[in-house]
Amino acid sequence: MEVCPEGAIEAQELVGFLKQFQHVISDPVENHGVTGVTGRGTEEVKTNDVSGRIKKGWVGFSIDMGRPGMGVYLRDAEKVAMACVGAGFILAPPEESPLAALMPDYRTGKLRDDCLDYRLLSVIIEGRCPEDRTKDVLKALQKVEKEIDTVFSLGLISRVDENGDCKALAYLDDLGLPRPHRGKVNVGLGKPLSLD
Amino acid sequence: MTHSLHRSGDIESQKKDYVWFMYQTKGVNDVDIKPRALEFIAVAEAVGSENWGDVKSGPKLRFPIEEIKSKLSDKSRLRGIFTKRSQVVEFLKQIKAKDLGMSVVITGVLSEVIPACREAGVTPHSVNYSLGVWGKKDDLPDDTTLSITTMCGHHMIPPKFVNHIMKRVQKGKMTPQEGAQELAEFCYCGIFNHIRCANIIEENT
Repeated sequence: MEVCPEGAIEAQELVGFLKQFQHVISDPVENHGVTGVTGRGTEEVKTNDVSGRIKKGWVGFSIDMGRPGMGVYLRDAEKVAMACVGAGFILAPPEESPLAALMPDYRTGKLRDDCLDYRLLSVIIEGRCPEDRTKDVLKALQKVEKEIDTVFSLGLISRVDENGDCKALAYLDDLGLPRPHRGKVNVGLGKPLSLD
Repeated sequence: MTHSLHRSGDIESQKKDYVWFMYQTKGVNDVDIKPRALEFIAVAEAVGSENWGDVKSGPKLRFPIEEIKSKLSDKSRLRGIFTKRSQVVEFLKQIKAKDLGMSVVITGVLSEVIPACREAGVTPHSVNYSLGVWGKKDDLPDDTTLSITTMCGHHMIPPKFVNHIMKRVQKGKMTPQEGAQELAEFCYCGIFNHIRCANIIEENT
């Protein structure tokens, strides 16, 4: 294996918003200016017991574009975001999602044209839909996954019962998708506790 | 970021891999968090969290614990790992008793985490379920490499570096434990499970 000498790689000045965006989103140590969260800067289930962002009767999705490890051109992120919006998905606004900062109107999923050829290590498309639209969003994802030049890791977020179950999981059966064996469990110790 | 959620590999191996988190909510309980963060660290240490860290200063496998503690700020986000369900139960019991008001998240195999919650007397509020990887999966690395790289969800550990470490172990230039330690130092959050990683390297070299 060839090894570069120490100091062979130097940080370059990041000129312009999009270069800085590329850096902040790909570096877990950096804080995103708007959300205040490090890395790609979304909250998903982490503080849902306090924020109540995903309430009963709603389902959230966290679509980690480019993960694991493949990277993503923003044109593919746009494709997936717009497909989800078309199926009733409500994208998270700019104050909750860094990607929305690149959307002139975050409700559409359309990104600004000058960013589409930028490549990131990963970026999250996040949002929510009424529980009864879950299947529509999943169907849209099943279609668009065949039209992109990368991968995404998909998370489905829901309020749950004491057994960690939720109604939305039944939709997976309808679509022939396997039930999840892994989960990120918010154990409800935050205060004030959101009961919605 | 769902950087702990989408770990892959053999399920039995994943059952020895839990990630814990302490989170503050912006605008609600995100001021002067250091005393509460120190309480979390004390419990994590008492329960034997094998690796933990603060993304702002790095993991304990790389930096002295006192240095990480001294750098705690309101921007800190603590997270770490356990390798046994019993640790999760004890951690949750002690954190609940301290009543710190911070959000606590445990990521892992649900058939282990949910019973652990029950045993500790906490009630799951919400779950982010992993529905796996979608899209152009043919271009992904092999399953063994992924089972290691996905333990750093920010992907600070490149597949080629994993292969390099595996080859060094195969040639007897380092032990699986030394290889796992070297890989773990690239994961700044402190959620890389070097114990599981060493086992994976050992089983595949």
